[in-house]
Amino acid sequence: MAVITISRHFGSAGELIARLVAEKLGYLLVNKAVIAENMRLCGILEPEFAHFDEKKIKFQDGEWDREMEERRRHYLSQLHNFFYDLAIRENLVILGRGGQFLFQDFPPALHVKIIAPLQSRIGRVCRLYSMDESAAARLITEQDRDRETYLRQIFDGDWLNAELYHMVINTGITGPEEAAALIVTAACLRESAGEIPVHELEERLLEQFASPADDGLVGGLLYDAGGNVPLFAHHSEAKFARMLDFYQIKWLYEPKTFPLEWDSEGTVTEAFSPDFYLPEQDLYLELTTQRQKLVWKKNKKIRRLKEIYPDLQIKVIYGRDFQGLLKKYSIEEKGD
Amino acid sequence: MKYGEEHNLEVLFTREQIQARVAQLGEAITRDYRGAGELILVAVLRGSVYFAVDLSRCLEIPFILDFMGISSYGGVSASHGIVRITKDLDSNIAHKNVLLLEDIVDTGLTLNYLRRNLKTRNPASLRICTFLDMPARRIVNIPVDYCGFTLPDLYVVGYGLDHHERYRNLEVVAALK
Repeated sequence: MAVITISRHFGSAGELIARLVAEKLGYLLVNKAVIAENMRLCGILEPEFAHFDEKKIKFQDGEWDREMEERRRHYLSQLHNFFYDLAIRENLVILGRGGQFLFQDFPPALHVKIIAPLQSRIGRVCRLYSMDESAAARLITEQDRDRETYLRQIFDGDWLNAELYHMVINTGITGPEEAAALIVTAACLRESAGEIPVHELEERLLEQFASPADDGLVGGLLYDAGGNVPLFAHHSEAKFARMLDFYQIKWLYEPKTFPLEWDSEGTVTEAFSPDFYLPEQDLYLELTTQRQKLVWKKNKKIRRLKEIYPDLQIKVIYGRDFQGLLKKYSIEEKGD
Repeated sequence: MKYGEEHNLEVLFTREQIQARVAQLGEAITRDYRGAGELILVAVLRGSVYFAVDLSRCLEIPFILDFMGISSYGGVSASHGIVRITKDLDSNIAHKNVLLLEDIVDTGLTLNYLRRNLKTRNPASLRICTFLDMPARRIVNIPVDYCGFTLPDLYVVGYGLDHHERYRNLEVVAALK
């Protein structure tokens, strides 16, 4: 259940260091090869994988390919599911791919950033790829820009924010072996500092961020389309309902529960209640205040819901989307 | 520091690309409404003004240009209340063709309200033309009849779209990073 995430500037020896750390600790290294193999099993093959892996959304002559974006979303969903499922079972060293954001609130995780001065990186890239300095500099710029933009687009995060990391190691003045040793030492110190029961870690991974309805109720009681006053599970839902009211859109709160799984005797063992139903739109809405990294379980439920009830219209409004909505209307949302 | 340099802006559509696309929209609208009766262009304040001006210059049919403004969520105090019209139409749209012009359609919440409101005034037809469409953000399904560009979920400015009232006047559309 231990997770070490290693974010790296291109040419800073991050991959080598990740491999050394994984070997020393006996952890599974989750790098491009491992991810590509898993994605292949999910039906995402080359060259599509190369097109998505740590790459930003691209425009072709000012046009955006909607079908490609759908595939990209599918890829990201599969990738994050893969990380989550693996983290439940294994100790991991995750190289890049937003690990520092995905496991930001996972207490045992150790987040490391590997940096190096440009000249040092150019020298390393020249040696590794047998190219001249100007080509190496271009490659570094391109790769770093791709990774930086990828993380901003997916997680709305800045990978240069040092507050994300427990350690920032400069390989311009630290060799790869020494860097790996520093990380291994830090990981061992964190492990011995306090063991958290497995069930608690699992709960934290699946954290719901639920909190009592409070500031969403500022402004008076909210009435649904049936004239009832619902008890919201989360203040964000109340805020959302108030916004629907503002735009005079009728809504019902959790009006229906859909069975998803049954046991051999036909008893419902798993069900799902979408947060809102808009009767005029015949549309269900699920508002998740979880951050992007913790929505896998809900995504799985919604996929199952769509399989069983293919005619049902449901949309998911993710935490990031909701925050964007509040930002658009200049309303500050309290952190969950 | 030059205008725009305090934010990292990535140009998505150049002035030339915008002009070409707006001209295409103008041709399509001209073709669809030629001989169809009186046309009223309803530009939604304030973002669509730049688009409305450029698009209307590309039309080769008679039209009336009118404007409509509504309050935004969060623009009122604690209780938020309900949406209200801050600038109503000067024209009577009953039995006339109405083309609603938007700078961007994202959640569809504003447009849903406007569409319902205008429909109660009994227009002969009501269609929607948006400069930008962001379907990934859609909450309420809205039929878009004419669309300049479709975008993924990005925060964009320029050509009428602002960031705290800045960048509306950019001649390009840029992603605010």
